Amino acid sequence: MMTRIVRTAYLGLLVLATGCDGWTTPSGPPASLDAELRQSLSRWGTVPIGPTPVQPPALVDLGQALLFDKVLSGNRDIACATCHNPVTNAGDGLALAIGTGGSGLGPSRTLGPGRQFIPRNAPTLLNTGLGAPYLFWDGRVSNLGFGGGGGGAFQTPAGNQLPAGLPTLLAAQAMFPVMNRGEMRGVPGDHDRFGNPNELAEFADTDFVGLWQAVMQRLLAIPEYVSKFNTAFPGTPTSQLGFQHAATAIAAFETQALTRTDSPFDRYLQHDDAALTPEQKRGALLFFGDTARCASCHGGPLLGGQTFANAGVPQLGPGVGSGAPLDFGRGELFNQEFYRFAFRATPLRNVELTAPYMHDGAFPDLEAVLHHYNDVPRALREYDASQLPSALQPMYHGDGATLSAVLTNLDGRLTQPLRLSEVEISELVAFLKALTDPSARDLTSLIPVRVPSGLPVQE
Amino acid sequence: MTRRVVSLSVVLLTVAATAPAQTIPIQTVPLVPADQFDIFPSYTLAMGGVSIALRDTLHDPFVNPAKGARVRAARFFASPTLYHVSRDAGAGRTLPLGVLGRAGSWFGGLAVALQQVDASHPPSRSLNTPLPFAATADPSANSVVPSPPNLSPAPDTHGNALAFALIGTTLPGSGVSLGGSVRWAKLRALDGVDLLYPGSARVNQYGETVDARLGLLKEWEGDRSFEAIVLHERFRMTHDVTFLDTFWNPGTQQFFQTPRLERNRDFSKRWGAQVKYERPLPEPGWRIGLLATANRTSQPNTPNTDLLNIPQDPGLSNAYELGVGVSRASGPALFGMDVVYQPIWSTTWAEAGAPTATSGGKVIPLGGRTIENGFHFSNVLFRLGFSHEVVQSVTRTVTLQLGFLVRSVHYNLAQRDFVEVATRRLEESWAEWTPTWGLSLRHPEFELRYRGRVSHGTDRLVPPSDVVFGVADARPIGFFPPSAPASTPSGVHVVTHQFSISLPLR
Repeated sequence: MMTRIVRTAYLGLLVLATGCDGWTTPSGPPASLDAELRQSLSRWGTVPIGPTPVQPPALVDLGQALLFDKVLSGNRDIACATCHNPVTNAGDGLALAIGTGGSGLGPSRTLGPGRQFIPRNAPTLLNTGLGAPYLFWDGRVSNLGFGGGGGGAFQTPAGNQLPAGLPTLLAAQAMFPVMNRGEMRGVPGDHDRFGNPNELAEFADTDFVGLWQAVMQRLLAIPEYVSKFNTAFPGTPTSQLGFQHAATAIAAFETQALTRTDSPFDRYLQHDDAALTPEQKRGALLFFGDTARCASCHGGPLLGGQTFANAGVPQLGPGVGSGAPLDFGRGELFNQEFYRFAFRATPLRNVELTAPYMHDGAFPDLEAVLHHYNDVPRALREYDASQLPSALQPMYHGDGATLSAVLTNLDGRLTQPLRLSEVEISELVAFLKALTDPSARDLTSLIPVRVPSGLPVQE
Repeated sequence: MTRRVVSLSVVLLTVAATAPAQTIPIQTVPLVPADQFDIFPSYTLAMGGVSIALRDTLHDPFVNPAKGARVRAARFFASPTLYHVSRDAGAGRTLPLGVLGRAGSWFGGLAVALQQVDASHPPSRSLNTPLPFAATADPSANSVVPSPPNLSPAPDTHGNALAFALIGTTLPGSGVSLGGSVRWAKLRALDGVDLLYPGSARVNQYGETVDARLGLLKEWEGDRSFEAIVLHERFRMTHDVTFLDTFWNPGTQQFFQTPRLERNRDFSKRWGAQVKYERPLPEPGWRIGLLATANRTSQPNTPNTDLLNIPQDPGLSNAYELGVGVSRASGPALFGMDVVYQPIWSTTWAEAGAPTATSGGKVIPLGGRTIENGFHFSNVLFRLGFSHEVVQSVTRTVTLQLGFLVRSVHYNLAQRDFVEVATRRLEESWAEWTPTWGLSLRHPEFELRYRGRVSHGTDRLVPPSDVVFGVADARPIGFFPPSAPASTPSGVHVVTHQFSISLPLR
């Protein structure tokens, strides 16, 4: 009798046990914020930035002079640093940049007579030396060209006119602002600040080689530049120097002086759990998690720079190319129609310092950006142009057709509201502010006292 | 830096697993404890481990050294033991050899064991082969980063060595036996520890554990007995964990990796006591046993893993056990059953490794508590076993054994997070099911035994099988570096086989 009872009990338990394979695993106590966050970071490949290679001092010195020297512009009235000024954290603080003919610096810069705004925001030069694969808002300079550039590595608007020997994509990018009529070159008939004809404006827009040679003639006419070039490129005879050498020097200066990657978040990436506050960590979890999904564009080591998205940004400004007065962004490039209204997801380190935001500076602060992302279709329809500077308000394209066109091609990740609470938005802002390297707040020490041309540096 | 969080469960499990009994395991998640140290021969482990009202002269001396008094004749034993965790999540082999014997009123034993433990998972592949972020300026460098050094464990198997010594005496005419035992193990691998460090390239473990016991056995007329044990256990392990940290190199515009060594120490001390009383019941063949156990475990330092859950350093646990068992011998059949209740209170906390800002705007100073956890467990064990001599003759006896062990874990957690200024509560429960079986052949010249068991209802952290590098979206641009795969708890079962032979020494 006893044996039967035992056998029955045993078989019953055995049957019960075999039915238990599909059970649900207890999760255990909640994972800590840090454990959860580090897992999310890993998911998006957000890894620390290694040290930037030290650039040759002579190259940096030459690059600094060139970046601040207005002699590179057709009218000798604007330098690279005019729109990428250390005072405004290597940007200009304007929604849309103001190119040649303008006056003043930073947010108070004004248009010159008969000029119009540059169609896009002047992005900061901070951390451009880290190696993003696309540069410019539409990514028209890229190193995914698979042999499309003159050097065999970069894809640029110059096609096979791009000279060989450019060491980095940033150097390749530095070849182009001097080509842009609105930004630096000027238009035929312009006269420079001294009343002399602007010879650079006379070249055809497709004559990259001719223009670059002309800019170099200007530079090499200044003995101090000849000396600086010879020091920076000791193995290159003066007769062999081209604008690619100038661009290389500018890129070296940008890399050396404007790489700022010692933010609290960077320290957190290097295993310092105390580098972020709890609020910043919660914001980071939203950023890298499935709630806000920011990292799907702003992931990777650079927190962006790798993808393009139509984020439903209000259309503003004079427009670009065939789309004018609209700006089709990357969709304006050949064979890139898929990306209509899409712009580069910009790397976000030091983003706190680089307002206004987006490709046309449509949003004055980070809170406005995040409220936009929280419900893009609604935010676009309800965009309040009064937040724009008065000069830009008439250039806002808020008509139904434009809104519809933008929303039709809206990135699929943004068609539904994120439903972030105000607290979550403030946490995201706190996280974005944790991307700031304190040393990037004041870059004024980078401004040289003078430049070889003798033109004024900060005016 | 705020000390990172660890799983309370896994480490305590490994500690617990080094002691054969009288130590109460504490788990907060059902991660599987392999039978790494369950290596000595036993009559009753094949019967679900029923032990309160059943005697096990093969195994009892390793639990209570005073019970070596029940060894009637000297004998040699060997009990090769193998375990394997499904999903290839771990395996191990042990060869214990030993002798037990007596001389007059003295008794004693010696045993040694060599053990090999396989890595619970292959070294992380995910970060070892980063793919290029993008084509680089140098076409010749348009390839993967230079291969990182091979840091994978070589060989994958690591060896432990264990030694056990026992001595005791029976006080003439009193029915009292006293004994003491020491178990020492040089440890180079604890099963599952490598899983504590997901993404690591290598985990080197080294340390030791010592378990010292004093036992008493009092036997009365009428087959009644009382026994008591006091034990102290010290456990010290160091984990040298090598991670390959991935960086973005702005110069080459590629990913690169550098090794980073993280040293974690896992220390704990445990005091324990157990008393047990056994007596026959009035009905023929029936016996009853009562058991009470108390453990106090302190863990001044434990590994810093990113794995899960709970800050563990330091911490304190008080665990108790109340059990009752019955058994019945009826001719060739033997039946036993235990029911054990385990109330456990455990407190753990984490300390700030650097001044840490709180959500409330305050700053926790260095060494201040950042998190405090209070656990209350109410665990129940149910063991059931049956043995039947299917062949019985003058020269040999063949016995079949079956058993079942059910372990129900239930706990409440109150967690106070001083950084986020928050309190969380959690209630968790699960059950583990372990069928056991055995077959023995007893012959005047030798005794052969086989026992097996398979544990269900437990998990192990298993990395995903196929790791691919991620693409940001479906579009043809936007490459991301490979991400570390998240090891997730996956249901596994652990199968243990033990073959033992016992030879009388004449």
